[in-house]
Amino acid sequence: MTDTLLGIMHMCIFPGGLFALAIGFLFKGIDRRVEARLQRRVGPPLLQPWIDAAKLLTKETMIPKTACRQAFLLAPVFGFTGMAVCAAFIPIAGVFDGLSNMGDLLVIFYLLPIPAIAIMLGGSASSSPFSAIGFSREMLMMLAYETPLLMILLSVAMLVGKSIAGTWGAEFSLLKIVLWQQENGSLGLNPSMIPAFIAYLIFLPGTMGAIPFDIPEAETEIIEGPLLEYGGPLLALFQITSALKTFVVLGLGVALFFPGVISQWWPINLIWFIVKCLVLMLISLTLVKSATGRFRIDQAFRFYITVPMALALCSLILVWVI
Amino acid sequence: MNTYTLPLGPVHVALEEPVYFNLTVEGETVRNVNLTSGHVHRGMEAMAAQRNFVQNATLTERVCSLCSNSHSFTYCMAVENVTGLTIPRRAIFLRTMAEEIKRIASHLFNTAIQAHIIGFKSLFMHTMEVREMVQDLKETVYGNRMNLAQNCIGGVKCDLTPEKFTYILGVLEKVEPAVDELREIFATNSMVIGRTKGLGLLPKADALRLGVVGPVARGSGVAIDVRKNSPYAAFPELKFNMITHDDCCIYSRTRVRLDEIFESIGLVRQCCRMTPEGPTTKHLQRVPVDEACARSEAPRGEVFYFIRTYGTDVPQRLKWRVPSYMNWEALGVMMKDCKVADVALITNSIDPCVSCTER
Repeated sequence: MTDTLLGIMHMCIFPGGLFALAIGFLFKGIDRRVEARLQRRVGPPLLQPWIDAAKLLTKETMIPKTACRQAFLLAPVFGFTGMAVCAAFIPIAGVFDGLSNMGDLLVIFYLLPIPAIAIMLGGSASSSPFSAIGFSREMLMMLAYETPLLMILLSVAMLVGKSIAGTWGAEFSLLKIVLWQQENGSLGLNPSMIPAFIAYLIFLPGTMGAIPFDIPEAETEIIEGPLLEYGGPLLALFQITSALKTFVVLGLGVALFFPGVISQWWPINLIWFIVKCLVLMLISLTLVKSATGRFRIDQAFRFYITVPMALALCSLILVWVI
Repeated sequence: MNTYTLPLGPVHVALEEPVYFNLTVEGETVRNVNLTSGHVHRGMEAMAAQRNFVQNATLTERVCSLCSNSHSFTYCMAVENVTGLTIPRRAIFLRTMAEEIKRIASHLFNTAIQAHIIGFKSLFMHTMEVREMVQDLKETVYGNRMNLAQNCIGGVKCDLTPEKFTYILGVLEKVEPAVDELREIFATNSMVIGRTKGLGLLPKADALRLGVVGPVARGSGVAIDVRKNSPYAAFPELKFNMITHDDCCIYSRTRVRLDEIFESIGLVRQCCRMTPEGPTTKHLQRVPVDEACARSEAPRGEVFYFIRTYGTDVPQRLKWRVPSYMNWEALGVMMKDCKVADVALITNSIDPCVSCTER
């Protein structure tokens, strides 16, 4: 009973739910601010994501007449729940061990595409032609970036598993991967894992729907695509989900490649974790966003199934050979 | 595969002005384009027939924002043609100068919007920043950022002091390297090339058949430019090249625009050097019963004005044809079998001006 309650606490307050949301919105604020500065704009205040969400939450919920009502209403809730649960599985080195100690890497891999699926669901339920195009693009993008992700996770799991078991094996516990790295050095500095780390950096803008891979929600092409018909609290929920996802994917990246701790005291470790996440975001999202334009869907698909795929495969083979 | 209809517009984020595309789409490929316009009809030609010649100079300047100067310029030329008025030489050069300054700003604006549609926000901001220098120039010299109100019948309103000439030359010194950098980015950045090269094709034969004008025609290798073909104002005395590119795609149209900015900078410099001293206006004496026309090269292509007078201070008929009207039809050819993602980009590549077309 207490375990269940504790689990729910982890999903709602720390590290999922409120904490992840606070970090996600803070990061989104920093992202917008830094991007603006790179473009010589002033940029919005750091609290802008909170202000946006608060404004949207006070608005009326509009449902298109032709939309499939239940799916339209449930899609954002579905995405939000998936991400809130997923955030509780992210271990924060030296602070929190993650909700489960067995096979959580697989759980994360299954939960990670849920926001994208929610967007697809909501888009197809809203019965707008723009949403339909966005839906097909989102699906194509998901196929493109999930495969390299699987290979990245597999190469990490195999490397750690091989080292722990001494023979062939894969370790799907994220906590054990983190602990192994604390003893044997970060994987991000391991020569055979550097290609996988770069592939993960490329995976980030794709999964976050950031430029140059914001194709499913391309504003100037299909007017936000699947999110076109959404407004008010439902749109706010999508934004909250996106913030949670920022926390999840960055936290996962830190846990997979740089989970080192610098102190015995947990608040310092927590700040260290946030700083690492922030650096990861600035490199893979903000800088990339400021230096590129949007790919066309066929170009993005080709890019994902060549570059990150080749990098991840490279790591996988290196793990195999060494 | 099934086709469905994608309504693009009349209010669409990528198209700044209200125009409605009815796209028949198969998957993500556009099969047919149907264009509906008429959302911003303002009855300007009827209004022109109720106002006197002086008032119409103000009215025509408000036809369009980006090529506002070209409209009042051509209108004034038409009135001067019908009344047989020859304007002072100084006014001719000052008019040409205002026209070329507007051209620089207009081309930069279109290029910036292209970057915006690609989603390249930094490049958009960068281009707009360069344009801002030209906007500052316009505000300092003429007092306005968009409508310069430089042309009036018989000459120009704003006479430029020698300090202003020096100031203009100083700003151009700064604009030129900035545009050179932009040209480099637009020509070599793989992201921009990947989204613009080989797309929105308008073969030369089609360009000739549809009678497209301006940078759209010159981007398809058709060498037409009113400034060269039938020089007006100060253009016969000024040296510049007609820019053409043969790639026939969005990329080549952008390159035409960016290259033309350099020609315009050169033209403004020549004007600064060659503007003679003297009066800037001449009075309108008498309006005959007659008709006349005038044409000029606006940033988007040829602007044509026709005027018929019946001896009073009000024109009986004022009719004009804008470049976007000729270029619209080319969209059908350009968008054939393109992707939905490129529709906005292709539309922007003809530099459409809906407010001109649907006055």
